[in-house]
Amino acid sequence: MTHTINLKAHNRPEVMERVLRVVRHRGFALQQMSMQQCDINQEVNITLNVTGERCINNLELQLSKLYDVSHIELEAATAIKSAVAMNA
Amino acid sequence: MTGAQLVLKVLQQHGVQHIFGYPGGAIMPIYDALYDSDVKHFLSRHEQGAAFAAVGYARTTGKVGVCMATSGPGATNLVTGLADAMMDSVPVVAITGQVFSSLIGTDAFQEMDVLGMSLSITKQSFLVQSLDELADILHQAFEVAQSGRPGPVLVDIPKDIQIGAVDFEPYALPEKTFEPVADCDIAKARDLIGAAKKPLFYVGGGVGLADAIDELQDLLDATQIPAISTLKALGTVPSDYPYNLGFVGMHGNQAANHAVQECDLLICTGARFDDRVTGKLDTFAPHAKVIHLDIDPAEIDKLRKADISILGDFKQILPALKATPEISAWQQDAIESIAKYAWRYDYPNEDIYAPALLNKLSKALPYDHVVSCDVGQHQMWVAQHMQFTSPRNHLSSGGAGTMGFGLPAAIGVQVARPDTTSVVVSGDGSFMMNVQELGTIKRFNLPVKIVLLDNQRLGMVKQWQELFFEERYSETNLSDNPDFLTLAKAFDIPSVSISKADEVDAAIEQLVNSEGAFLLHVQIDDKANVWPLVPPGKANHDMIEGA
Ligand SMILES: Cc1ncc(C[n+]2csc(CCOP(=O)(O)OP(=O)(O)O)c2C)c(N)n1
Repeated sequence: MTHTINLKAHNRPEVMERVLRVVRHRGFALQQMSMQQCDINQEVNITLNVTGERCINNLELQLSKLYDVSHIELEAATAIKSAVAMNA
Repeated sequence: MTGAQLVLKVLQQHGVQHIFGYPGGAIMPIYDALYDSDVKHFLSRHEQGAAFAAVGYARTTGKVGVCMATSGPGATNLVTGLADAMMDSVPVVAITGQVFSSLIGTDAFQEMDVLGMSLSITKQSFLVQSLDELADILHQAFEVAQSGRPGPVLVDIPKDIQIGAVDFEPYALPEKTFEPVADCDIAKARDLIGAAKKPLFYVGGGVGLADAIDELQDLLDATQIPAISTLKALGTVPSDYPYNLGFVGMHGNQAANHAVQECDLLICTGARFDDRVTGKLDTFAPHAKVIHLDIDPAEIDKLRKADISILGDFKQILPALKATPEISAWQQDAIESIAKYAWRYDYPNEDIYAPALLNKLSKALPYDHVVSCDVGQHQMWVAQHMQFTSPRNHLSSGGAGTMGFGLPAAIGVQVARPDTTSVVVSGDGSFMMNVQELGTIKRFNLPVKIVLLDNQRLGMVKQWQELFFEERYSETNLSDNPDFLTLAKAFDIPSVSISKADEVDAAIEQLVNSEGAFLLHVQIDDKANVWPLVPPGKANHDMIEGA
């Protein structure tokens, strides 16, 4: 199953490492990602496409536990598939 | 003032009086500031010892434990202690010195990517990038370590920031706040409890961490529902609670393991369905609906789907769950089961039966003593045969199962609670893992009592080799152990060694009445095993008893 996760995080230099580490350790593989600085509040927007057999809600909850992550959103699974297809 | 002086000032703003650590090049400015600070520093003899002392300090008080180390190898030596704190949700702040900011990334002497190393073993970590953010980061570190589900936080401070000039500002400690709990979930849970025929509390370490022991005890009093406890919860359910079924899991009490298999409602209270508790997960509590209470949303549905989950502060949640189910038959079952599976200490042989010794020791120690233990058979015997008046009085490396935990944790306990009897129960393997901390005991005259159960084996591994690896005893024989009495003497610690059952009472008396530190060396049979046991991959009702 492929999923798209959008998150907002504090703009610390290691924030992407933190997020990617959790994705890997909790059983998901990264397919595509992007990160963009936003002007307000020294935050970054991160979008991840991940695949994995495990329950995606568990990953969402683990990511939301990161102190630097201020907001997280899971795109509905069908929408993601088309997004991945478009990107491919 | 300097950044280094600021670090100590901020620690004091957070009420820190004691820290554990070890100096070195990249943290020298902070050690220099310490020289005339009111914060008392306890020199360990290995940074792992400092980390575990901070863990012991935190676990026995509920306050943040603080440890410090230099860059590179100093920081790597902290790693195991922080990982242990992470797995057992212990509030610890670790401060590490780092090389000058300009040298980071140049492979300078003792320069390592400590922030990178910290990612998987801390709740949060920081590399301080400017003097401006130093105080704020330290405040955040204390807040994160204690908020929600507690955990370790690391702050890596480059040397240029330690020596730079900065202004010190007052700081108001934040109030602890919790989201209000949804009333409808509470009502649903209460209804489920009220309607259950065989409800069971599955009590975890979260109750103690939430400082909600009284609330749990009130809830037990009101509901009279039977309860089982995880390793970390021991001491939470009063030992005289009539429906206290005891320790659950791989080496748990049969009464607890059978009850969990039979219950129709499992009320998981700050526990996390660890594999050492559940055995084969899909056979665990097979007939039960689950109410899962926790502070950490990521624990809900992680391993076992909850029918109702309630997130939040146990001090609010537990009092709201008072229901009175009609469960007299189930209570009667519990009482019979407790009697049927009570631990037995009749042992006909002349040598020393460790469970009996620990049970006697438990009764001989002052009411409010603390036991820190290491990892292995002796750890399970402590959990089975000693009784605790609070989870803060039983420190056992649960999630990580780290050998070498006991001695430095007991040092942390003794520093935090100087008037309390701090006991270590260790094995001959584990004891040698942080034996250098005897130096810390000597240096600070800490009256830590050490009980060393010596089977001349890595007993727990040996037990598995015997049962599951065809008695092929690969690398578990420690019959070439040092002479532990001579070792104790080298640190001015009086000691006695016993090997016979009729020596036990006098030796325990000597230990309990000793003024300062004391080592009781207990020679036990290398063939003794921990029973009962749920074999790996089996269900909890398939526990086996030894011969
Ligand atoms: C740091 C660490 N290394 C290895 C292990 C694996 N291990 C678990 S129990 C055990 C044996 C412990 O022996 P000892 O301390 O003598 O205790 P006993 O089981 O004999 O009571 C070992 C090696 C561990 N838990 N921790």
